Amino acid sequence: MITLPKSTAETGMLTNLSAENTALEIKNLDLYYGDKQALFDVSMKIPKGKVTAFIGPSGCGKSTLLRCINRMNDLVDICKVDGSIELQGINIYDKSVDVAALRRKVGMVFQRPNPFPKSIYENVVYGLRLQGIKDRRKLDEAAENSLRSAALWNEVKDRLHDNAFGLSGGQQQRLVIARAIAIDPEVLLLDEPTSALDPISTLTIEELITELKAKFTVVIVTHNMQQAARVSDQTAFMYMGKLIEYDDTNTLFTTPNKKQTEDYITGRYG
Amino acid sequence: MNKWFKSGTPWIWMTGGAVSVSLIMVIGLFVLIGWRGLSFFWPATVYEFDMVDSQGVHSNVIGEIYDSETVLKQQLVDAGITGLEGRGDTLERYLIKVGNREYVELDFQWILETTIAGRYVPANIVVLERTKNGNFYGYIKEIQENGKTLSFSPEQLEIELAARLELTSTLKAKENDLLKGDIGRINFELERIRLNQRKLNLEGTLTPEKIVELENQSQQLRDEYLVLEKQLFAYRTEAQRDSVVITDMTGRDVVMPMAKVLDFYLPNKMTFFEKVKHWFHQTAKFVSDDPREANTEGGVFPAIFGTVFMVMLMAVIVTPFGVIAAIYLHEYAPKNTITKFIRIAVINLAGVPSIVYGVFGLGFFVYIVGGSIDQLLYPEALPSPTFGSPGVLWSALTLAILTLPVVIVSTEEGLSRIPSTLREGSLALGATKSETLWRIIVPMASPAIMTGLILAVARAAGEVAPLMLVGVVKMAPALPVDGNFPYLHLERKFMHLGFHIYDVGFQSPNVEAARPLVYATSFLLVTVIIGLNLAAIAIRNNLREKYRALEH
Repeated sequence: MITLPKSTAETGMLTNLSAENTALEIKNLDLYYGDKQALFDVSMKIPKGKVTAFIGPSGCGKSTLLRCINRMNDLVDICKVDGSIELQGINIYDKSVDVAALRRKVGMVFQRPNPFPKSIYENVVYGLRLQGIKDRRKLDEAAENSLRSAALWNEVKDRLHDNAFGLSGGQQQRLVIARAIAIDPEVLLLDEPTSALDPISTLTIEELITELKAKFTVVIVTHNMQQAARVSDQTAFMYMGKLIEYDDTNTLFTTPNKKQTEDYITGRYG
Repeated sequence: MNKWFKSGTPWIWMTGGAVSVSLIMVIGLFVLIGWRGLSFFWPATVYEFDMVDSQGVHSNVIGEIYDSETVLKQQLVDAGITGLEGRGDTLERYLIKVGNREYVELDFQWILETTIAGRYVPANIVVLERTKNGNFYGYIKEIQENGKTLSFSPEQLEIELAARLELTSTLKAKENDLLKGDIGRINFELERIRLNQRKLNLEGTLTPEKIVELENQSQQLRDEYLVLEKQLFAYRTEAQRDSVVITDMTGRDVVMPMAKVLDFYLPNKMTFFEKVKHWFHQTAKFVSDDPREANTEGGVFPAIFGTVFMVMLMAVIVTPFGVIAAIYLHEYAPKNTITKFIRIAVINLAGVPSIVYGVFGLGFFVYIVGGSIDQLLYPEALPSPTFGSPGVLWSALTLAILTLPVVIVSTEEGLSRIPSTLREGSLALGATKSETLWRIIVPMASPAIMTGLILAVARAAGEVAPLMLVGVVKMAPALPVDGNFPYLHLERKFMHLGFHIYDVGFQSPNVEAARPLVYATSFLLVTVIIGLNLAAIAIRNNLREKYRALEH
């Protein structure tokens, strides 16, 4: 049973999105791992201040597409990208772009919680320390704010200087989110953020995602269709490296345009 | 039977057996050298033997039983020894440490049990430890002051001897302090002034005023020296005042100046607790004293100091080099054939015989690098070399290249064990690759780096062969650290426990006297290595606790 989000958007909104409402525009993106093509001509606009979900069967390229947005794929030597992704009108694949600066604007949270072997506090302020901020007051303030935004403050405020590994999996994942939002990014990428968590932690994270969209543009990859339906405003369905359908979540789950989408969301394959 | 094989039990027995055999061998070796070495410091009973030879002539032998062996009667008969009728097939033969080296032909004598007519344990036998010629065994006869005999009752003699010996050793300590302290400093300064003058001369800036100034400085030092010299001679004369007269085993009275006596004890009178106390005292002296008499007597302190100092210096050199090389190989080098080849070459470096490193160190570090440093920085001291001769710095460098592969390999292993999610996490927060390395990766790899260091230290502390070429000597006149500026003298030669073992065991003129010292020194070397390793392991476990992210 799929629960539908409360908000419904006008149809066709995604294609006619105005420039100031667009956070990201992906244009004709092709991606190759060596000789193998993993993404085929993906084009889409991701609206500002909304939650966008990528769904699709394993290996469909949804994580790959997500990792293009903060150029995480650069770490793979054999990976080659054609096409462009525009963040505020600037192509992030342009030669003049500083990748580290880009990643400060586009935060990312991974599948498994990956806190650093440091204290909770040091984890949160890691990004700020990288930017050379040393002022203790600023750091304290940022740590508190981002832990509050990540709904973790009340649980850890008395043990900020304990090792982060002492936290539970769900808490660790929220800590990682706090760490990502501490540097105040514009876009937050979530790569299956709840797949390693128990149902209760998953629920907390989902609630958190809904709150986060007030401040950030959120892009989430999930293999869980219910989750996509619960948290996202619009959903992209991908299959075999191609963007099959991209629409308002409500529309996509109730009246899909394509046969493949319908087959997938009704559980006929995937 | 087939079932037994299938169950895997034989494997368990085989693997368990292999572990036990190694453990037994290690512990056995440790106990053997420990026992042999440490029992040397225990005050052994001194016997007086009444000996009778084939002509029926009696003689006395005083000494410790050092060793004994069983010989076949037939062997002795073949060697022409008579008077063995009515004895069993085998006979005991004892090795007696007679001491008194300058008065007897052999200070270790083999005696056959048949020649012993009686064996006594006289309570008042005294053992004198001397600065020269080893121990002296005998009976205290009297004490002399300025050649005149003082009258003491036999009970008082011992107390008086102890008191006067104490006095003499205080004087000698003062003399030594003066020599190593103020006089040493004056010599050092005089040498500096001489070198300074030569340097100015070479630079062509030696003006007459400078000459006068330097001359004044050295004159001042020489005046200072004259005062100290008087003091020194006063101490020496005062220390010469007392002497002790000892009756040795042949009944001869020997006058022994107290300045030559270090210590005395009466082993046969000692209670068990006194012996324990004596043992601790002797052991402490062994660890803290300088060697005497071609290293066959005295302590090994300079060797312990040299070993530890050199190993630490090596660790300080090898760690940054190894870690940086490993980081380059693992993080930055392109993954191609050349990198693979370099990695294999690094691993193979560990298999090169250590003497080859010694030769390389001598040729490259000592002659080329050291020689160039001398020409550039110390031209005034030439032709006598400063860094251009073997020294502790070159030894540490040579061992650093010897142990470099170990550090590189284990650091690389540590780097590859760090989960890639942590790297990505850091990069995703806008860190550059080098920021990620220094803030996350290297701290997390530090336990592995420490493991490499532990292996490197263990390897370096036990290495002797290359050191013989690049800096170790039998007897170093001064430690590489002292109170004269610049306090660290890395160009100096040093002593090493491993070389000390070789030297005492195989190069010493008195094999029997040196043998227990070989065990004691070996035991000490093993203890030092274990100590260094335990320290490193403690640090590593601490780091592991801190970065235990790897365990999930």
